[in-house]
Amino acid sequence: MNRSSKILRYVGKRLLQGIPIILAIVVMNFFLLNLAEGDAVDVLAGEAGSATPEYMAEMRKKFGLDQPLPVQLAVYLKNVVSLDLGYSFRHDMPVTKLIVDRFWPTLLLMVSTIILAVSFGILLGLYAAVNLNTWKDAMISVFALITYATPLFWVGLMMIIMFSIKNDWFPTSGMENIAAFYEGFDRVKDIAHHLVLPTITLSLFYLALYTRMMRASMLEQYGQDYVVTARAKGLTERRITFVHVLRNALLPVVTMAGVQVGALIGGSVIVESVFAWPGLGMLAFESLFARDLNLLLGIFLLSSALVVAVNLIVDVIYCFLDPRIEVN
Amino acid sequence: MKLPKFMNAVIMTAAITMGGSAVQAQQAGGSMVFLVQPEPPTMAGYVSTSGPIGLLGPKIYDGLFDYDNDGKMIPVLAESYDTSADGKTVTFNLRKGVTWHDGKPFTSADVQFTIMEVLKKVHPRGPNSFKEVSSIDTPDAHTAVFNLDNPAPYMMRALSSYESPMVPKHHLEGQDIKSAKLANNPVGTGPFKFTEWKKGQYIRLDKNDNYWKEGRPYIDRIVGRFVPDASTRAAAMEKGEVLYAAYNAIANIDAVRLEKRDDISVTTDGYSMINPMALLEFNTKEGPFTDAAVRRAISTAIDRQFMIDTIFFGYGNPATSALSSNFAATGLHAEMPHYPASGDVAAANKILDDAGYKKDSDGVRLKGTLDLIPYGEDWRRAGEYLKQAMGDIGIDLELRYEDVPTWLKRIYHNYDFQMNLNYFYQLSDPVLGVHRHYGTNMIRKGTHFVNSSRYSNADLDALLGAGMTEPDAEKRSAIYLDIQNILAEDMPVVNLFELEFLTVYNTKLKGAYGSAMGAYASFGDAYLD
Amino acid sequence: MTDFWKRFSRNRSAVFGFTILLLVVFIAAIASLIYPEDPFRLAGKPMSEPGANGFLLGSDSLGRDVASGIAHGAKTSLLIGLIATLAAVFIGVIFGALAGYYGGRTDDILMRITEVFQTIPSFVFAILLVAIMKPSIDSIVVAITVVSWPGVARLVRGEFLALKNREFVQACHTLGMSDRRIMLAEILPNCLSPIIVIGSLMVATAILIESGLAFLGLGDPNIMSWGFQIGAGRTMLRSAWWICTFPGIAILITVLAINLVGEGLNDALNPRLRERN
Repeated sequence: MNRSSKILRYVGKRLLQGIPIILAIVVMNFFLLNLAEGDAVDVLAGEAGSATPEYMAEMRKKFGLDQPLPVQLAVYLKNVVSLDLGYSFRHDMPVTKLIVDRFWPTLLLMVSTIILAVSFGILLGLYAAVNLNTWKDAMISVFALITYATPLFWVGLMMIIMFSIKNDWFPTSGMENIAAFYEGFDRVKDIAHHLVLPTITLSLFYLALYTRMMRASMLEQYGQDYVVTARAKGLTERRITFVHVLRNALLPVVTMAGVQVGALIGGSVIVESVFAWPGLGMLAFESLFARDLNLLLGIFLLSSALVVAVNLIVDVIYCFLDPRIEVN
Repeated sequence: MKLPKFMNAVIMTAAITMGGSAVQAQQAGGSMVFLVQPEPPTMAGYVSTSGPIGLLGPKIYDGLFDYDNDGKMIPVLAESYDTSADGKTVTFNLRKGVTWHDGKPFTSADVQFTIMEVLKKVHPRGPNSFKEVSSIDTPDAHTAVFNLDNPAPYMMRALSSYESPMVPKHHLEGQDIKSAKLANNPVGTGPFKFTEWKKGQYIRLDKNDNYWKEGRPYIDRIVGRFVPDASTRAAAMEKGEVLYAAYNAIANIDAVRLEKRDDISVTTDGYSMINPMALLEFNTKEGPFTDAAVRRAISTAIDRQFMIDTIFFGYGNPATSALSSNFAATGLHAEMPHYPASGDVAAANKILDDAGYKKDSDGVRLKGTLDLIPYGEDWRRAGEYLKQAMGDIGIDLELRYEDVPTWLKRIYHNYDFQMNLNYFYQLSDPVLGVHRHYGTNMIRKGTHFVNSSRYSNADLDALLGAGMTEPDAEKRSAIYLDIQNILAEDMPVVNLFELEFLTVYNTKLKGAYGSAMGAYASFGDAYLD
Repeated sequence: MTDFWKRFSRNRSAVFGFTILLLVVFIAAIASLIYPEDPFRLAGKPMSEPGANGFLLGSDSLGRDVASGIAHGAKTSLLIGLIATLAAVFIGVIFGALAGYYGGRTDDILMRITEVFQTIPSFVFAILLVAIMKPSIDSIVVAITVVSWPGVARLVRGEFLALKNREFVQACHTLGMSDRRIMLAEILPNCLSPIIVIGSLMVATAILIESGLAFLGLGDPNIMSWGFQIGAGRTMLRSAWWICTFPGIAILITVLAINLVGEGLNDALNPRLRERN
């Protein structure tokens, strides 16, 4: 059996295995979330200003919250199988619609951040490794550390102050200029304009990770036997670095990027909060505190499907990057 | 609160003045973007008194009346009213030619439906405000006659579009009011109609071209933006991206800073119908604070002015009684002992010593837990201050932060608390906002924001009942004096200070400040300069 | 061992980082001596600027001493970082090593479990855990551990996967070494570098997650930590910058120091690098 069909079979197997994983996640989250005190009715009643116990009992019945937990879970799973993610009683909208509305702002932010952070991270890490232990290396390391260690909200706020208030280059927050009613390409430009500050803020944070990982990985590769061999064979440093070492060094970086994709949905909570970016991170956060279980479970479901898919892609890329890794 | 005949004359005068006031050259047009914090769950102001709904609902729905900054009633959907001599019949003469946003006419049938089927049944305060209304007659399309079991002077203060919005019968009849589609697709008679709600971003309201008031509204469009972070909100205000922010959407510290700008103003007007009061609820049945002497000592030790100055940057007034001093205007407030503005640690220690609570080797007399209302940073600081202040009189407190549902469950379902820092609206009459803390009949397990202390005093109950129905102003004063005296002794709830909410606005926005409802008003007269 | 120290001490930035770290630990240790009063005490005039009214680094909105808070908070923040990281690395290495080495069904099962934990958006999961367990130092440490270990596991698995088929491992098999010996004594030391790097970054992450949780209102109100100070001061960033900036700098310095040390360890443990210079 040749390599490609082995890989295809592996992909198929992993996808099939993915389903029970996603189900396991849903069940685990369901029980965890129900461990939290209070429910959606409490929150709605609290916000409304008051509610009689009878009213609240009625609402619980309507939302199906008065059923025993296993029954609620069974109902939820049954719906999920038919691709119905349930209803958010708080927002009075189907969960699917809520998630889809907020998904593409998240995707936009996520993709821009990854592209920016990974590309700059690889470049900086490479540069640092090639200029090992010189002042260039030290500066890059320190820069990476500083951007990583500074609290995200502080960076975000500084960005707003620096580039929006003191210099009127960018808007303070939001995804688009509501009062302007842009259409078509103007709207795209407007959204891109709003995307700049949040992306830079979030990228600075992740940049550090990729830079450090890339540098460390490169250095580890330089210590390997095959590098000694290559030098003995008389290959140029340049060729060793860019043809052999780089390819192997990318492995851990790719892993990390893969891990980050899953984390980005939640990790952007702070940036979404500071910049009022209408993404899934803030939605998840709000739905937790509103005990909007259907919505939160729906977000977890989406996130898990995403991570399963991305992990699989990462593993397949691994195989192509390192022929010695076998796929069984 | 008496309703003499001359009130009608006042209303007539107001109506004439309002009608003829459109003489200045207000510029029409423009979009007004303002802050709504946090995002409301729905737009159903007839089911929920949630603040964010109040910022938007009254632009879409009208009430029977509005109230100006002096408390005078301004005709909105009702042009005038008459009260019978015994106070048990109130006739409202409704405005003619008003239509709903979908074109159907507004009639007395809508008023009857709104009060009897909606507000009395599902609104949080409606059953209380309209308790005495047994039926409403509609002799013709523009007259609604309220038949009351007993006189209810406080009811006339609850007719704003925030407190009692008029809703369309034809959209709600025969449905489950709490889950009707109207909640997220509001249809009202107000100056703005609902256009779009982008969850997580904004709500957009467009001008109602068929508004009953000629020439209004001036503004083309109102947009409520949701921005979760407080500093970002201040930044948006600074940059002119938003023009208006009420109910401390801009933190006091930023308001103080922004006020220095020429284009931004700050006002404490617009909250006189709200009367927010910061307070401590105590568990009077279990735990370390069941002794009234301890609660009096706690009240005596707190430096209220310090809390106002350091946490709220000077905006607020120390509480001097169970009632807000804003009720002094109607003769209901009186200053009480045990409410020192600056705190008297020595006196507090003496109260505890006299009551027999000795300090142990660490100086601790009692240990307890303080729960905090989870709505914002300011209350954290307040809790941290209280912990230190209580430490000075030998009470060792542990602070507990929880999220809203956990906190609500703990306090109002399980009574699993000892001391709870909270704030309540006392509203425009004690019956509407104060009675709920102290009446035995308000001990309702599972209902939020009522008597969580489980305080029960038969004498007080009698007084509360009397205060509710007494039409004579002097007699009512006397009743509430007795009430305040009892509460100053028992203190199941210790009032800390009267909050002053702030409205921060860009001076470009004019005409939005004439109503006592402040941000919860219709903005029908607002315009951009 | 002395070889290692020699190599380490030749790295100037690593020594620098180590010194700073020692300083931070020292301050944490003597906090009660230099600032004997409770850091939550209202010590003087609120909103004092640094240097005013006897406050070295200023006071916050209630009049608490920022410097006192930093000294006492050092202990809390360091402990949170350390304990959470050690726990996460421990769990992650076990999972990753077993999965990478044995492959097959073991790999499948372990990685699926890892995926379960990795899948949930980690920060939201941390928030969820803290919300359920009610905000306190303990729940924060548990939450950070739970969201951090999957990253280690996957990384370690990747390393083990790549290394297990190398010639030296195959040689060990031929020699008849036990699996455990191979894993612990042969493979693990060879992937220590990325583990150390990720570990040192994780201490920093732990401290940062704590401040992030404090930002969102989920800190422990009864114990002084840098995250608490940042949370208490963040709404005043424009008017009283010192309240959350100094704790932020404290975090920055500590994180920097930890990472320089981590790097130094990495370079010192990887002798071949000497040949590069």
